[in-house]
Order: sequence, then C-alpha cells, then structure tokens
Amino acid sequence: MRITILNGNPDAIHVAFDDYLGRLVEGLAPAHQVTRLDLREVKVAYCTGCWGCWVKTPGECATRDDSADVCRAAINADLLLLASPLRMGFISALLKKSLDKMIPLVHPYIVADQGEAHHRARYDAYPLLALLLEQGPDADAEDVAITADILSRTSLNLKSQLAFTRLTDAPVAEVIHAIDSL
Amino acid sequence: MRLTVFNGSPRGKRGNTEILLAQFIQGFESVPGAGNSHELFHLNRVKAHHAYAQAFAEAEAVLLGFPLYTDAMPGIVKAFIEELAPYCGRAGNPPLGFLVQSGFPEAAHSRPVEVYLEKLARRLACPYLGTIVKGGCEGVRMMPDRMNRKLFAALNEIGREFGASGRFDPALLQKLARPERYPRWAIPLMSLLLKAGLGNIYWDQQLKENGAYGQRFARPYSG
Repeated sequence: MRITILNGNPDAIHVAFDDYLGRLVEGLAPAHQVTRLDLREVKVAYCTGCWGCWVKTPGECATRDDSADVCRAAINADLLLLASPLRMGFISALLKKSLDKMIPLVHPYIVADQGEAHHRARYDAYPLLALLLEQGPDADAEDVAITADILSRTSLNLKSQLAFTRLTDAPVAEVIHAIDSL
Repeated sequence: MRLTVFNGSPRGKRGNTEILLAQFIQGFESVPGAGNSHELFHLNRVKAHHAYAQAFAEAEAVLLGFPLYTDAMPGIVKAFIEELAPYCGRAGNPPLGFLVQSGFPEAAHSRPVEVYLEKLARRLACPYLGTIVKGGCEGVRMMPDRMNRKLFAALNEIGREFGASGRFDPALLQKLARPERYPRWAIPLMSLLLKAGLGNIYWDQQLKENGAYGQRFARPYSG
C-alpha cells in the first residue's frame, strides 16, 4: 500500500511523538511504500481563501509554496495518515493549515452526496484517511471523539472516509495491524 | 457591555464573515441606554495573535467568527486558539460566543465544529454563549443588499437580543440556521438541480473571467 503520513507535530523538541512515528514507519516499511512529511519542515502558507485553486489555476494553489508537495503525496496515496498531538482539544494548527491547502484536490462544483451538498471530485480515486493522535495530559476521550467526528466529515468532503482513529498510547504494532487490516 | 470581536476569516476585512459580524454588532450596539460598544481584531494578522490573546484575557465578552474551512476552523483560527492555552481554566475568563458561516447551503456541515467550540469554552472556563451557524454565505459579499436583507435582519436581531439580555436566543439561532439539512423529499430534486449545473453558475462565471474555464477539470497531481 502507498501510505502518506502527515506529521503535524509542531515542536521538534517533542521527540516522543516523532520517535513513535519513526518506529511506525520502520514497522511499515517492509510491506508498504511510506512517505512521511514532517510539516514543520515544509513551507506551507496559510490558505487566504482566494479560491485561486478553483477559479484561476484549477487544481493548484495560486500561492507557490510547498503545499503542492503535500497535495501530490496525499492524492497519490492509498492511505493518508494524519498524525498530530492534540492541542487545545484538536489537531495542531500546523496540520490544520495543511488540510486547508488540500481543497485544490476537489472541485468547486457542488453535488449531492448522501443527501447533503458536497464538492465534486476532481480525481478518480482518493486515499482512505486515518487519524493518529497523541491525547496528552490536557485532553480527554471526549476531545478524541470530537476530533475524529470532525475529521470524518473532512474525509467525506475529500470523497473518502475515515478508516480508523488510534492513539499513540497504543503499541506501534497495533497501528500497523490496523493498517494491514484495511 | 464592551464586546471583543475576533474575525477569523483568512480574507480579513474583505470577507463574508466581516459582513455578518458587522450586522450582529450593529444590533448589539443599537440597544437604547445599554452603552454597548465593541473592538474588532482580525486573525489573519497572525503575527499579532499573541497580543490578541491578551485582549481576549482582558475582555468583558468575546465573539469569535470564522468561515468553515475543511469542516472546522481555518488554520489561522486554530493557531489563535493555541495562543489561548495559558488561559485554560482561568477564573474570570469572559463569556464566549461564536459565529460559523459556510458556503454549503445546510447548517449541518457546521455542527461538528460547534461541538468542539462548546468544549473549547469549557476548556477555557468561559461561560458559553452559543454558536451562530449559517450556511449559504459564500455569495453574501457579492450580492446586492436587498438579497441579504432577511439574513442581515436576523443577525441584527440576534445581536440586539444579546445586547439587551447578555445571551444568545436559542430560538433565533435555530431559525437563522435553516435549512438545517435538506428534507428527505427534497433530496432527489436537489440532486437534479445540482446535476443540471445550478450550483456551477457562480464558479463558471469566475473561471471564465480568469480564462481558466477550459482547465476547470485539471488534475495536476495525477500519477
């Protein structure tokens, strides 16, 4: 499977999270083709809501930053694993910033999907999404559920679904098993 | 009461959120004898977030408005929320309300983030005022005022009610949010209209103006 991992850990100093991802990538590597993007090293500007990606340069952000690399890695994967420590009860601003910049992957046109208005697909196939969260001391199970609920909606708008949510409390092997079971 | 308003639109003063907030504020300040006033900060000035967090801590009451971005708050708003971390659970934090507007016609798209916002208020130990949710707002800034009249009047009323009582009226919020979702009977009709391209006109016009209509189905990252 082609797996793209977006690492939304904003703090290089927070090594436990990155170490966990390191062990995950190592465990996945023999059987899968893994791309890991540490978002704090990727130059992505905040979305300005210009809609250039929909009406000026269709499918591409009009701001020339490295979000194109993120989009390319995401759309060409079978699984997009969003990894982030919870910050104030949600994925980090660093990861959210990159999600905002993935709207060029869909089309501005609106279609009816599951009885709701959603954007039309731009590509033939979209990756499954999955969430890997570090709950941390400031968050509880409710925060995890709220975050998963929002990201399942985001998955729907990315013409896909949220396959699973796991916490970094779980052994790495459990996440690998969840991925192998897809 | 002095209301501290944060506009979380990446478009700042030029966006739809600004227009909707202004309608709320107008109602809020129109209450006779209440002496209501406001201050307004724009979160697209990311470098000012630290100072804005200070303004939050000192506020009497706070309204945070933003457009729905990938089913949640825009990245700049999440960055601002992270700046508020030092004030979690602090005694005396201001009452906190929200406005979430989206381009999707139904309010249902904004409900999951509303749950997050209510929890956020709890996390900050802010009394939760409520969340004003409205869909179908992408065209507001381009439409003539007469087409926005009903929407503006409703926001005015919610602001006025808040200015008088210090609370968001749940009945008014519910009325404004309509349609919450499409009724089952309307879905086939909606599908048909959308298939016929009813929702495309707005985008096609802009695509044509930019000479990008022919490339509208481009897949630059294929393969």
